[in-house]
Amino acid sequence: MNSKEKERYIENFAFPFCDESTKYEKVAKIGQGTFGEVFKARDKGNPNKYVAMKRVIMENEKEGFPITALREIRILQLLKHENVVNLIQICRTKASASNKYRSTFYLVFDFCEHDLAGLLSNVNVKFSLGEIKKVMQQLLNGLYYIHSNKILHRDMKAANVLITKNGVLKLADFGLARAFSANKNGEPNRFTNRVVTLWYRPPELLLGERNYGPPVDMWGAGCIMAEMWTRSPIMQGSSEQQQLIFISQLCGSITPAVWPGVENLELYKSMELPQAQKRKVKDRLKPYMKDPYACDLLDKLLVLDPSRRADSDTALNHDFFWTDPMPCSLSNMLANHHQSMFEFLAPPRRPSHMRTHHSLPGTRPTTSAVQDSSYQDRVF
Amino acid sequence: MPCWYYDKKELRNTPSKLDGISYETEMRYRKEGARFIKETGSKMDLGYNTMATGMIYFHRFYMFHSFRQFPRYVTACCCLFLAGKVEETPKKCKDIIKTAKSLLSDQKFQTFGEDPKEEVMTLERILLQTIKFDLQVEHPYYYLLKYAKCLKGDKTKLQKMVQMAWTFVNDSLCTTLALQWEPEIIAVALMYLACKLSQFEVVDWIGRTSKHLRWWDMFVEDVTMDLLEDICHQVLDLYQSSSSTAPESPPLAPRAAQGSHTPIKGLVTSNGQEKMDVDSSTTVASQLTCAMKQQQQQPAMPPDAPPYPYNTLPPYPYPAPTHIAPPPGPPHMSGPPPPMVFPTYPPGFPPIPPPNAAASGFYANPPNPNPNLPPPHRPPYFK
Ligand SMILES: Nc1ncnc2c1ncn2[C@@H]1O[C@H](COP(=O)(O)OP(=O)(O)O)[C@@H](O)[C@H]1O
Ligand SMILES: [Mg+2]
Repeated sequence: MNSKEKERYIENFAFPFCDESTKYEKVAKIGQGTFGEVFKARDKGNPNKYVAMKRVIMENEKEGFPITALREIRILQLLKHENVVNLIQICRTKASASNKYRSTFYLVFDFCEHDLAGLLSNVNVKFSLGEIKKVMQQLLNGLYYIHSNKILHRDMKAANVLITKNGVLKLADFGLARAFSANKNGEPNRFTNRVVTLWYRPPELLLGERNYGPPVDMWGAGCIMAEMWTRSPIMQGSSEQQQLIFISQLCGSITPAVWPGVENLELYKSMELPQAQKRKVKDRLKPYMKDPYACDLLDKLLVLDPSRRADSDTALNHDFFWTDPMPCSLSNMLANHHQSMFEFLAPPRRPSHMRTHHSLPGTRPTTSAVQDSSYQDRVF
Repeated sequence: MPCWYYDKKELRNTPSKLDGISYETEMRYRKEGARFIKETGSKMDLGYNTMATGMIYFHRFYMFHSFRQFPRYVTACCCLFLAGKVEETPKKCKDIIKTAKSLLSDQKFQTFGEDPKEEVMTLERILLQTIKFDLQVEHPYYYLLKYAKCLKGDKTKLQKMVQMAWTFVNDSLCTTLALQWEPEIIAVALMYLACKLSQFEVVDWIGRTSKHLRWWDMFVEDVTMDLLEDICHQVLDLYQSSSSTAPESPPLAPRAAQGSHTPIKGLVTSNGQEKMDVDSSTTVASQLTCAMKQQQQQPAMPPDAPPYPYNTLPPYPYPAPTHIAPPPGPPHMSGPPPPMVFPTYPPGFPPIPPPNAAASGFYANPPNPNPNLPPPHRPPYFK
């Protein structure tokens, strides 16, 4: 087959398993990250059905279909849970002369009306204590599920937590996720530590740990939990060094006494670690959170030593979720804001100058950082 | 949902067949492509899992496209390239092509065209769409090790059997077996074959109950002897047509030249019936001798089974958990199963079994010679 014939063949072959993207009608662009553009779209065959389409960016790929996208797809195909975003299918544009016979691919998801970062940045959205409990309970349920299935999310942050109009929370953005296994044959894992958006990055990653596990996501869950009250990320460092200082100022000095073995981490000696800092998690968050159970749970999530950090199971059994007011549905509250956040697209809700602001060489920038500029005025 | 399993009729009615390629030629192309993935992968130090995944993509691809449209060695490279990424052992496209070039004749390498890398990259998108982004595939290796752990008996013999079954699994990937049966069933069948050949008789196993007639009843249901033998024959048939006597395959010819594809002489039908009708024992014996000789001659397919104890499983969660995790409460994230303490298995393929191995009852009942038998049905095998 010569190249002309092949082009014709590709153009005309009806791939039985891979729908064309024309099946959907784009409604609006709702997100732009380094790893993909996201659109809201309508299923033409089912006009009440909305989907989110995340484009796989392949333009600058020297090695074909990006391994990160393959990972995301494989993991999403594996994970099917109420609190994990549902991947419906992968669709494609038709190959033609205009795209040089190279299809573009989209990951198609069930559409979620809100993301948590958007809700938190909207001053009109007020969460009751019961509603916050519901958010956290669903978030931890999702983490429990993915961790039991040996998947690490590695990019926990409010922007990657979606909420449907019915108040169902979905963990999203598995673009940095990967499978892990308990150390095989006693050999430590050697994962990259250049993951997790800086403000949600746990101290073990900042200190160069490569043999990490589910506790990295639990740290992010703690940051998100505090944010439910503070309404902005609690530790907004502008460098890894500064992030470690913020962490020490909140969680106490990082020392072998509170974290046995920390002295062996690669960057322990090269990073400046403030000494004689007292742990102030409860003290500093009490004015916001008020609820003592909430403070106590947060205190157990923002633990420096990953081996002593609460896991999702422990967290879900915490009294916070089992005392009045009990977790209650978000659907009523969301009904008042039932217009999706994505409908307000002007002025841009996600100023682009924030997006790469905290990126570091080799790290993923804080994609779709939803921090409104108004965040900067808030003092935590 | 695509179903990646086909019956024999479907396997004889593929796009290649419709494109004028004979069944025998297609089987040879599949074998050559799969072997080439194995050779290229081995040369690049890729693991058995990556190579097996690439081979499965390869076979699935040609259920939708013809060998005439897509030259097999290009597709093979593309499958290996994708499998490398999926199995977290990525190799650069240009390195795969370089290795491929070193293994192929100039004539065969010509099928990569002017810009081989571009060729493979373009094909990758077609491959992904064809296989429905169904990236996660399971292989019989995992089940082979899992089942072997449960068998009781002489440790040395057990290890010899596992090593042999492992090689059969390697070779089964050159056939369309993975398009016919689930990896659990292939594992059982090839262990059954290896048990016979290595004279390892399974008399007891961990977890045995009175309900279990055979050891595999613990793992799969309703697997008939006919089915097991059919699977074994499909692997043994590989050794029948020695690749050295097969004609050098021509580069992809335009449609007009299709008559030049000569089928390989002497390839038995997949259930071995032709031969069986003549004299089952000698044929099987000669097949086996051939098999052993070929396996010994194949340095490209070294026994790559992990050593005992069989706890070096691939890092990805196996089996792919599809269930919904239970609500919080029960203990989770348990560690790997405790390792079995066995002596390390020495490398090297086990010696050729004594010539009477085959006659010792293995094919005591030749497969039913009625060619009109319906293909084995597919009841729900898994408990
Ligand atoms: N299923 C969805 N429904 C609604 N919005 C979504 C959905 N998936 C993603 N988004 C929006 O698009 C943004 C970017 O998507 P994400 O998967 O996080 O990609 P990126 O890797 O670019 O961060 C999210 O923060 C969210 O606002
Ligand atoms: Mg994101």
